[in-house]
This record gives sequence, structure tokens and C-alpha cells, in this order.
Amino acid sequence: MKKWMQLALGVLTGVGGFFDIGNLATSAQAGASFRFQLLWSLLLATVLVIFLVEMSGRYAAVSGKALPDAIRERFGFKFWAGPFLILSFIHVLVLGAEIGGICFALHLVTGLPVPLLAPVVGILVWLLLWRTTFSTLENSTSVLGFLTLAFVVAVVVHHPPLREVAAGMVPSLPHHHPAQYWYIAVSIVGAVLAPYLFYFYSSGAVEDRWDKGYVGVNRGISVIGMGFGSLIAVAAVIVAAVVLAPRGIRVDDYHQAALMLTDAFPFWGFVLFAVAMGVACLGAAVEVGLSMAYATAQTFGWTWGEDLEPREDARFCLVYTAAILISTLIILFGVDPFKLTLLTMVISAAALPFVAIPFLLLMNDRKTLREHTNGWISNTVTVLVVLLSVVLAAVSVPLTLIGGS
Amino acid sequence: MDLVRDVLDKQLVDREGEELGRVDGVILEIRPDGPPRVEAFELGFVVLARRIHPRVESWLERLRARWSVRKTARYRIPWATVQEIRESEIQVDVRAQETPAYDWEIWLRRNVIRHLPGGGE
Repeated sequence: MKKWMQLALGVLTGVGGFFDIGNLATSAQAGASFRFQLLWSLLLATVLVIFLVEMSGRYAAVSGKALPDAIRERFGFKFWAGPFLILSFIHVLVLGAEIGGICFALHLVTGLPVPLLAPVVGILVWLLLWRTTFSTLENSTSVLGFLTLAFVVAVVVHHPPLREVAAGMVPSLPHHHPAQYWYIAVSIVGAVLAPYLFYFYSSGAVEDRWDKGYVGVNRGISVIGMGFGSLIAVAAVIVAAVVLAPRGIRVDDYHQAALMLTDAFPFWGFVLFAVAMGVACLGAAVEVGLSMAYATAQTFGWTWGEDLEPREDARFCLVYTAAILISTLIILFGVDPFKLTLLTMVISAAALPFVAIPFLLLMNDRKTLREHTNGWISNTVTVLVVLLSVVLAAVSVPLTLIGGS
Repeated sequence: MDLVRDVLDKQLVDREGEELGRVDGVILEIRPDGPPRVEAFELGFVVLARRIHPRVESWLERLRARWSVRKTARYRIPWATVQEIRESEIQVDVRAQETPAYDWEIWLRRNVIRHLPGGGE
């Protein structure tokens, strides 16, 4: 029973890591521009992310080591230094996008300009990390995360054409705007397979002191946690398709996305959207900040842990403090959160090989994992992810130039 | 035992189990009458920088001389202090708090963390 309480870690990872600002933006875009036709890319990404999350949790449970720790140890500093720097840069951009998302949610409710809200939000995120313990964070975010179910309720209210929804789950060629179609498909995969997800989840498993007994639970948590995140993202695509597409509303700003829930909930729709967006981004901001600190502390072998007092792991705390500060400044100086989100998704997709390749080698390390080494199914999926990541890395930049505008 | 696979980049912990850093470099002693012997582990950003490129090392060295609070650029832990080599970490018989590896941590505690709300003793 106690083990299954760990579901909170899965739901936190699912809400913050899966359904975050990137998924909100790409789901809204996909639904508004191509209705249900891009659902398949979301499902494909869901299957891949479930496998990768399960692997990172299994590795942590068996070896007691989180991913960045294991990568530095197995591959050495020279291999890891480059990816570590690139991923740190991505972490700061993603954190900026999430903080921008919280600011935008508050902007919807208060009417205050987004940059003006940035310092308040930055301090809020920092205080959460500074003053709370890991279990408080995972439990509170998991509970708040259920507010994002508003999208699922909206789907039920709208009675979408089920046959068309089902048809969207099978890949098909676009009838119009092919460049934009593939660009959104790539962004969806980039948004779902966010690098910080795996660093966060495996470090969280170490924080929660998992051992070999958690291998089975971990499997359930990955499926349920990521499944939950995916359910919300699928619902967001469907709502955008039913509400925005018929009116010809294209999403190139969060203002248009904010209209999504107003049909299902005429009076409360706007507020509900703001709350769901705020909660999802807050969960993600906490997660990205921690992931950055975990990765840095583990890379250099410092003391780390969200349950320690700040004076016990000063360097760990300094890392997330600095990351939050820089990300807040990005929004304070007026960078548009929506444009920042899309840019980040593409850079994330381009950096995917750095995330995917270590999995293949770590998960087949028989000396550490013994009987928990990857089987052929997991290995096939990992190879698929590696190949896909290389293709995505190659096409993401040119696609942005043609399809992004 | 394979030095690069089993020792280099491994987590170091002190005698109380506190994280001390990682094995950033290994110092070998060349002996005329036998195979080389491991003399010490070497720790520090400068040591890491050298593994990337000597130029990064000299650049970081200059930066360190100016700004760092660390007493030494390279900190050596003698091989003689090794207590146990486990699968995931190496335990050495020193106290982390008293080594240069902790200089930054202690400096931050005293000069930054303590002045923030909730960061005091």
C-alpha cells in the first residue's frame, strides 16, 4: 500500500512533466489547425515516454542512482560535458516558458501585463523549492493536478464525433499546409519527450528511497502517471478541434488557446483554463528547477536532496535559485511566453539524441542491472527512440523555418 | 580492476557517507621497478577542464586565481585513505567538511544561504 502512495510521484511527473506549457501550446495548435488528425503523434510519443520513464525509474530502483549520476559515471566527464551544458541551457529556456505560462494564467485572471507578474511568479516558484520537502511537493502538485481534468470534462460536454477522433489516432498525410503539419508533429514529440522528465523522475525515485522492490510498482506508475498526462493532452487537442477549428481560430498566442473551455463552461471557462494552465505550469516549473539542480549536483558529486535544509546543500539550492532568476528575467524583459515555448520545443527535439542514446547503453549494463536489464521489447523501443531522435534533430530546424511561421 | 571504468568519475563519499565530489582525475606514480601505481585521486574544476582541453584548463585556472574561494585548484586524496570501493561509490577516510572540496559549499552557506529567509541555523 505504502508503495502505491508513490503514485504521487508518477502523477506529479505526469502533470508537470507531461502536460506542461509545451503540451498545452502544441495540443491547442494541433487541434485548431488540423482537428483530430495529429492525435497519432501524441499517442506515439505517449508510448515512447512510458517506456523511457519506466526505464529511468527501474535503473534508479535497482542501482540507487539517478540518470545524470549514472551517465557521468559510465560515460565519463568528457562525453557528458557537452550534453550537460546544452541540456542546462534547455532547462533554463523551459523554465522560462513555464514561468511565462504561470504569468499568462495570472494575466488572464488579473489583467496585469505578463512581464510585470514575472517577479512575483519567480519568487513563488523559488519559495516552493526553498521551503518545502519533496513529499509535500509531489503530493500537493498531484492533488492540484487533477484540476487539469477540466479538459476531459469539456470533451464529455462537447460530444466529439468519435469516429473522426478514432481516425486521428492512425497516422495520415495532411490535406493542407504539410510543413506546418509536420512541424507541429515534431513539436508534440519534443514536448512530450522532455529531457528533464527523466532526470527528475529518476532523481525523485532516489529521493523516495526506492529499492529493487519498486520495480513492479514503477511499471504501474509510469503507465498511470504518463497515461494521465497523455489523457489531458489528448483532451486538449479534442477540445481545440471542436471549439477553435470550426471558427477558424488559429493558435499563435495563448489568448486564442484561452477560449478553449468557454463553450463547455460558459461562465467559468476562462477562469478554469487559467487555473488549469497555472497549475500545470507550476508543477512543471518546480520539476524543471529541481531537475536542473539534480543534474548539476550529480554531475559534480555534490550533496543533493530536496528534503535537506538549504544550509545542508547550499550548492544544490544555488543552482535552482540561479536558474529561476535567469528564467524570470527572460520573461521580465518581455520575451513572449508562446514564442519561447515553441522555440524551446524545437531545441528540445533537436537535443533528444543526447537523452536517448545513454538509455540504450545504461539499460543493457548487466553488471549493474542484472536480471532487470532491458528485454527485447524495451530495447526495440529504445532503438526506435534513438532513430526517431536523430531524425527529429535533423528535421526540426528546417521545419521551424518553413512551417513555424 | 579497470581504472577508467571502475574508478574515474566515480562518486566519492567521506567516512560519514557525505558526498565529497567525484574522481575527476587519477594520479599515477611511475616506478622504475614495477607497474605504475595509483598515488591519489585528484578533484577540482581545473582537473575536469584539462580533460576537455588544456586551453580550457589554463583559462579556468586564470579565472580561479581571481575569483575562487577554494584554497587549492587541485585537491588530492591519497589512495592510502581509501576505505572501501563499492559498486556505486568509493569511501575515503577523510572528513568532507575539512577538505577543499567543501570550500565553496561552506562559503555559500556563510555568505549567501544564511542571509536568506529560512537558510539560517
